[in-house]
Amino acid sequence: MAIISFDTKDLQAANGGKRGLTDVITDMGVEIEEATKQEIKVNIDPNRPDLLDFTGMHRAIANFTGKKKPQDNRYKISNAPAMTITVQAAVKKVRPYIAGIVVKNADLTGQKLKYFINFTEKFSDTYGRKRKKLAIGVHSIAAINGSLTYTAEGSGSITPLGLGKPMRFDKLMKEHIKGITYQDAVPTFGKSYLYPLLKDDSKTIALIPVTNCEETKVTENTKELFIDITSTSDVALGNAAAVIACSFIDSGADVYPVEIAYGKAKKATPTLEYREIKLSMSTAERTLGVATGRHNIISLANRMGHTAAKYGSSVLFYVPPYRVDVLNEQDIIEDIAIAYGYNNIEPIAILGTSSGMSNDSADSDNRIALTMVGLGYTEAINSLLTSEEVSFTKMGWKPLKESYVSIADSKTSAITMLRQSLLPGLLQNIAASANATMPQRLFEVGKTFHVKAGKPIEGKGIAFVSVHSKANFAEIKSAVEALFKQTGTDYRIEEHRDAAFMQGRCARVVSKGRQAALFGEVHPETISNFRIEEPVVAAEISLDDL
Amino acid sequence: MHEYEARLLDFLTKRGQASMDEMERGTGMGRDKLVWALESLAEKGAVSVKRERIIEAKVTKEASGYRDEFPEEALVRRISSAGRMRISSINDQIALGWAKRNGWIRVDSGSVTLTEAGKKATSGAGYAQRSALCSLIKGEDPSSVMAKAKDAWTTLIKRNLIEVKEATAITDATPTKVGIDMHAGAPAAGVGELTREMISSGSWRKQKFREYDVNAQTESAYPARLHPVREFTNRIRQKWFEMGFIEVEGPIIESAFWNFDALFSPQDHPTREMQDTFYLSNPKQLSIDDVELIGRVKKMHLEGWKEGWSEQLARSPVLRTHTTSVSARYMKKLAKAAESSYPAKLFSIGSVFRNEATDYKHLAELRQYDGIIVGDNLTMANLIQTLKSFYARLGLDDVKLAPSYFPFTEPSLGFFYYDEKRDDIIELCGGGIIRKEITKAMGLNKTVLAWGGGVDRLLLNDKIFGVGALPELYKNDIAWLRSRGGIKV
Repeated sequence: MAIISFDTKDLQAANGGKRGLTDVITDMGVEIEEATKQEIKVNIDPNRPDLLDFTGMHRAIANFTGKKKPQDNRYKISNAPAMTITVQAAVKKVRPYIAGIVVKNADLTGQKLKYFINFTEKFSDTYGRKRKKLAIGVHSIAAINGSLTYTAEGSGSITPLGLGKPMRFDKLMKEHIKGITYQDAVPTFGKSYLYPLLKDDSKTIALIPVTNCEETKVTENTKELFIDITSTSDVALGNAAAVIACSFIDSGADVYPVEIAYGKAKKATPTLEYREIKLSMSTAERTLGVATGRHNIISLANRMGHTAAKYGSSVLFYVPPYRVDVLNEQDIIEDIAIAYGYNNIEPIAILGTSSGMSNDSADSDNRIALTMVGLGYTEAINSLLTSEEVSFTKMGWKPLKESYVSIADSKTSAITMLRQSLLPGLLQNIAASANATMPQRLFEVGKTFHVKAGKPIEGKGIAFVSVHSKANFAEIKSAVEALFKQTGTDYRIEEHRDAAFMQGRCARVVSKGRQAALFGEVHPETISNFRIEEPVVAAEISLDDL
Repeated sequence: MHEYEARLLDFLTKRGQASMDEMERGTGMGRDKLVWALESLAEKGAVSVKRERIIEAKVTKEASGYRDEFPEEALVRRISSAGRMRISSINDQIALGWAKRNGWIRVDSGSVTLTEAGKKATSGAGYAQRSALCSLIKGEDPSSVMAKAKDAWTTLIKRNLIEVKEATAITDATPTKVGIDMHAGAPAAGVGELTREMISSGSWRKQKFREYDVNAQTESAYPARLHPVREFTNRIRQKWFEMGFIEVEGPIIESAFWNFDALFSPQDHPTREMQDTFYLSNPKQLSIDDVELIGRVKKMHLEGWKEGWSEQLARSPVLRTHTTSVSARYMKKLAKAAESSYPAKLFSIGSVFRNEATDYKHLAELRQYDGIIVGDNLTMANLIQTLKSFYARLGLDDVKLAPSYFPFTEPSLGFFYYDEKRDDIIELCGGGIIRKEITKAMGLNKTVLAWGGGVDRLLLNDKIFGVGALPELYKNDIAWLRSRGGIKV
């Protein structure tokens, strides 16, 4: 989901057990993309943003391997607010939520600044939906003059990070790399931008969510930080603030709240709250199918970062604020299972018998496939994804936009729609089989797709082609009739005209008052469009009514 | 007379004697057809042919990697640069064995050093096995390679680095009088074929039939076959039937509602992007007619994720990203089932789609099997037993489990196996216990065990099929479809 890399030796320092570091990380449920002596790249699932952060990953490994035991109330802040942000009404409609955190005695030396910046970038990109929903800014407090205001304005200027001179916002959006990258994340009012801004008494310190100013830039040696988080979602804001604050607390820094003033109403951020979740022993054991024992459950919970205490016949878990993924007891049970070790769970068979049964549609596909094999045709299976080029242009057919299923945003031009006919795919297969001995006979049974009155229709059909120097109308007619006779359906054959077939050598089968099949000698134009060099006869039958 | 025979005979009567190359050029027929026509004419006595024994040598896959260096050469090179190596540090037993046999190394109390011959071998002096192999790869005539390097030739065969076949092949042909008469329209003299007339009249008793060369090359015949993916899908279905599962199916064009929302995947969250989704531009919206269900799903999202939820977004059509959408639909259906239908065991197999870059184990369209068990008192231990039993039926005994994440299961797990050939860990399936929020929204007061895994990537496994790369499966090159190996489970 989100791939992030850490120095192997930095994480190794957290490993308190005998198992190797990569085994521990896998046991914790984190997927390893790549591991070398220097670097470990991990793929963090969207439920655990705390692990995108180095301190968070370090803490999880230390807890899991028993190197460090989680402490009660570790993440309660008792410091008084160190700063105030005044929020103005202008942001209400565009990006209403802001949280601030002040960190003193921070240590950003070595790799720590890089890790923290990587974390904020990944977090803003994924959870922050490329900063549109949420963004994080980091500033050096020393360069902030006086008090902070969060507002939104239609114009102004800032000295963006990495640039020596101020730039007007409108110019920055068009010419600066950050402006171009995050254009979609800046709210608009009518036709123009309404820029969310964080200002101190003398300057704009952040053009949100695009760039901070150069003046408040943070270096490895910065000890006092101000962190701002802005969002369109109160929940996402609280989660980000909790993960960041817990991270700095665990790194040994001092964390101070910031007061947010909405007119007269005041609120302090971050709010670091432990959630209490009660779980009865029997629920855990009934879900997992293993007897863990109450005392053991507590030590298993500790390994996942929770503290826990006995509570009557249940156990009360205190979920630390950074575990934003834990919603209720099910999530606690999973944590217990992870600590217990999935590979240690003894498999147990479900009692009682039941009888299997196949699906009619799958059975009928198999029957018709075997008939085709009996007629000497080999089976092909093609993707349902195709393009207008193959489905219409090469066949000589005209596309009817509203009648086929089209894809909105494909990553390749070969995939723009779902097939509405099986024949084009088979002709592509013949072109790819130029070296195979003649005669070449191929068939495919499968789904085709249409749109009728705005509704998708998933149909089923069979198509087959025969390719060799003597391939002719009679051969394909015999095969088509063999299939209709086998199904016992009444049918009649009529002359037909179709751009993909030669005139006078094309027919359709009418059954139950509807066109059920199309067959004949493929038009030389179509044959050439697919770069085939031999005569081709072909048929396609709808199986929906047979 | 077959048209190929007629064409060939026509050429030969005009030309007289001709070599294979001349006949191929002269008739414009491919080698296969030509050989077939020649053999057939020879049987009828229409041409006389000259044959020679030939040797065909095929370089195996393993050997083509040895073109620049054999493993034993690589080993002595490593020993040479290290001076000496511990025998326990050498994993490649093949290299060790051959280096020893060639007298390149000596082993003394667990320590390996080079002999004089070994030192010579590292100086780049030609290695007979490798030069013989390279000659074959370059296309040199196998019989001359065999004559030049008899020992190396025998060794390469023993090591399975080349596969050798002996055959007789026609070198040239001359038309006989019979052939010339046949071409002129005269009836064939001599008896080649047994006819219906001979049998009914009994005249066959007096005939002398020409005896055929049973080793003569005949035209290849190719049986028509089912596609390997169908064959394998049917095996998988069979395994689920054996385990008491009922097969179900569902739509491929699915609403975001059934693909995501009903499965607790939040609308504005990276979880939605765990697989890149194909959204559709036609149709534009799908209808979801169960208003009550929409209400319950909306409530589940508002309470669980505490952010907004849009019904409009839920109506967007997508190509389903997993067959779990089918399982979701059946959880809803089962809510009305009689108590006696539990535990209900269902599975489905079908195409799913990922809007992502493709490689040997990723395609834009792939096939998935999905399953659910719905009932009371079902546990993770039950889920693990079910899936282990399924994989054991596919010959995969050594599967490993790891925690995983899906928005719709808790706990969630993954099943994996280690693919030795590719040195890669392959995920077999993901699964878990369906979140209570979901079963509640579906109106189902039961526990649901659920899983989903890829069909195609199992075909990468040598124990099952062993296709080199997934795109090969769907190219449908007839030559490959005809000659491919079988499904082994």
